[in-house]
Amino acid sequence: MENQAVTERIREVAKRLLSDGKVSCVIGFEKGTVPMRERPYFAYTPEEADKLIWTSFCCNNLANFLIRRDLGEAGKIAIVAQGCVSRNIVGLIKENQITREQVFVIGVPSPGMLDRNKIQQMIGANKVITEVMEDGAELVVKGRDLEERIPRKKVMRNNCYTCVQRNPVIVDELIGEETAPTHGGNIDNVAAPWEKLSIDKSWEAFADNYKDCIRCYACRDACPLCYCHVCFVDETMPQWCGKTQDEADVATYHILRAFHCAGRCTDCGACESACPMDIKVRRLTSKIEKDIRRMYDYTPGMDLESIPPMSVFKPDDPQEFIK
Amino acid sequence: MTDKILSKDQVAAFIDSLKKEYQVFAPTEENGKIIWAEANSADGLLWEFSNTTMSPKDFFFPQSECMARFKNDPKAEGGMIMHPEPELERSRVLMNIRPCDAKAFQLLDRIFIQDEVTNDVYWRDKRDKAILVGLACNNPCPTCFCTSVGCGPHHEAGLDILLVDLGDSLLVKPISDKGKALIDDLPDAKKVDKDKAAQLKKTSEASITSGVTMDNVNKRTVLELFDLPYWDRVSESCLNCGTCTFCCPTCHCFDIQDEVKGTDGRRVRNWDTCMSWLFTVHGTGHNPRPTKKERVRQRFMHKFKYIPEKREGEIGCVGCGRCVQLCPVNIDVREVVNQMNA
Amino acid sequence: MFARRRFAVLKNLLEYIGIEPGRLHFSWISSAEAEKFQKTAIKVCEAVTALGPAKHMIKEIGKVA
Repeated sequence: MENQAVTERIREVAKRLLSDGKVSCVIGFEKGTVPMRERPYFAYTPEEADKLIWTSFCCNNLANFLIRRDLGEAGKIAIVAQGCVSRNIVGLIKENQITREQVFVIGVPSPGMLDRNKIQQMIGANKVITEVMEDGAELVVKGRDLEERIPRKKVMRNNCYTCVQRNPVIVDELIGEETAPTHGGNIDNVAAPWEKLSIDKSWEAFADNYKDCIRCYACRDACPLCYCHVCFVDETMPQWCGKTQDEADVATYHILRAFHCAGRCTDCGACESACPMDIKVRRLTSKIEKDIRRMYDYTPGMDLESIPPMSVFKPDDPQEFIK
Repeated sequence: MTDKILSKDQVAAFIDSLKKEYQVFAPTEENGKIIWAEANSADGLLWEFSNTTMSPKDFFFPQSECMARFKNDPKAEGGMIMHPEPELERSRVLMNIRPCDAKAFQLLDRIFIQDEVTNDVYWRDKRDKAILVGLACNNPCPTCFCTSVGCGPHHEAGLDILLVDLGDSLLVKPISDKGKALIDDLPDAKKVDKDKAAQLKKTSEASITSGVTMDNVNKRTVLELFDLPYWDRVSESCLNCGTCTFCCPTCHCFDIQDEVKGTDGRRVRNWDTCMSWLFTVHGTGHNPRPTKKERVRQRFMHKFKYIPEKREGEIGCVGCGRCVQLCPVNIDVREVVNQMNA
Repeated sequence: MFARRRFAVLKNLLEYIGIEPGRLHFSWISSAEAEKFQKTAIKVCEAVTALGPAKHMIKEIGKVA
């Protein structure tokens, strides 16, 4: 289904839910003010629902906005969710942050979202892009004195290439029809890219990957897994993590952030899309989730029934490392 | 002061002459990003670019800056006494800095250096030892709105020299005495060059179509703006990350910490962000900005109301558009201010 | 038993980013196994000493930048 058709269907469903009083709010996307960046939008009335859109630049994980909302009084909330977002909703339900009854999932099969940084780099870092239009398997990139067509596949977000479930796993109303669950990429082939390196080279690659980090914590704040009221980096008594740009402080933040996502990360890519410095933060989470698949045969958020891997054990879990 | 002309093939020689006395930095492209880096030659200099991803404020206000060192041992001789850090050794030239960023530093001067008491030695040392050679924007971005906040693509405030790209050559406008001294040897610009630069300025200014309107913001009281219902809506999508404040050329808040390890001790200041919960939380646990609404409001009120109130109408934003481009949820400062003004 | 899974993941993660394997040790030791505790502590000390001072995650706050 083309984005325009999906957009119209989302609006239709949202208007119906809002005018019937089934939900108090529909969380979706509206057109951003800059190219390649749509933004979260909260529609409270049928009129506001006309602002909702769907494109391949809906890169935030909307499940993030279900947390810390006053769902008790407000009643049900509808949320536009593709595969990964629905998996994060499942995660939030399992972790008792919300209940299934509190959300109405408007499911949308994911087209595979696009990476604005890849597009910018392909066109040239110093070029100004003013408009990007989707045309089937191609994108039309327009700017000052430029118009180029580039294949979508080349600029898809890395996590979308290797997505394991493009279709929403829980749905109250599906927009369009289910699509092929993957884009053909195999996550195990690309996850954990530093595994092949020697121990010294691993550290080099790790340090280099995060050298531009400005500690804005956008990766944390964009993530629906990060809902602690006080994050460990913000604790002061004791202060677990230094505040400076020292490599050790930056590394501590990223290692712990990733580790806190163990067994929970759906590889939605919201962290990488949010990063202002284009840091590949998934290089840590992808390693953890790969290990969890290998050791505990678990992929987060695929269903409501299975028990999260860090909350359970089996007698024969791997333990060669314990002496 | 007389405008000069510098042909582009003479830029290398110009940089060489600067390098005798200064460390020269300029925007360049690295791994698909526009960053600030040391410019040892004219290679890698960019004449066509929008702006660097991050503002150059960290030349004067590094994200982490050691302020003093001490021996962490109360019993030792000289223990626990703070010793100042060495001053900057070499003066620096920031070449091809955009006018908006230079204007931002002029604004920050008024905050870091207010009087004898409020006189930030760390900022001041680096500012005193810097020459800003601006590069006028001939092709502003769609996210630029400098013209509506008292700045502009060819604005001269805060610069020592302004370069205007005329194609094969650069019009070199001396602005300060410091700047003039560096370019005295260059040939004078001809009238045709000056006319061309003036025309480019006009075209560039005219091409900036987006902006903010401040008339009602100026008229309204702080409390009227503070209580606008709009803040609930704009803060809804905010992630409360620090991207907007860290990329901003005028955001200047910091947090000071003492760090010790064994007998080593240092006092460090780090950029802080009003988007963070931790920024305002008190020792008692009380937080006067408890939710993201108060935090989002703070950033815009500070730039567009509190700073103008205190500094004769000067706006705390230079319209560089970085936050518009980088905000992960596209909270657009132009829209926010226009809503405050509505 | 829950810790076992967390440690398995953490150990792999630290090695993945370049922290040498010999710096992190895990043992099952009950409160009744004094001798095992003593022997393990010695082994851990020897292993870490053999690796020498840590190279990474060290904040040199005394170093003048």
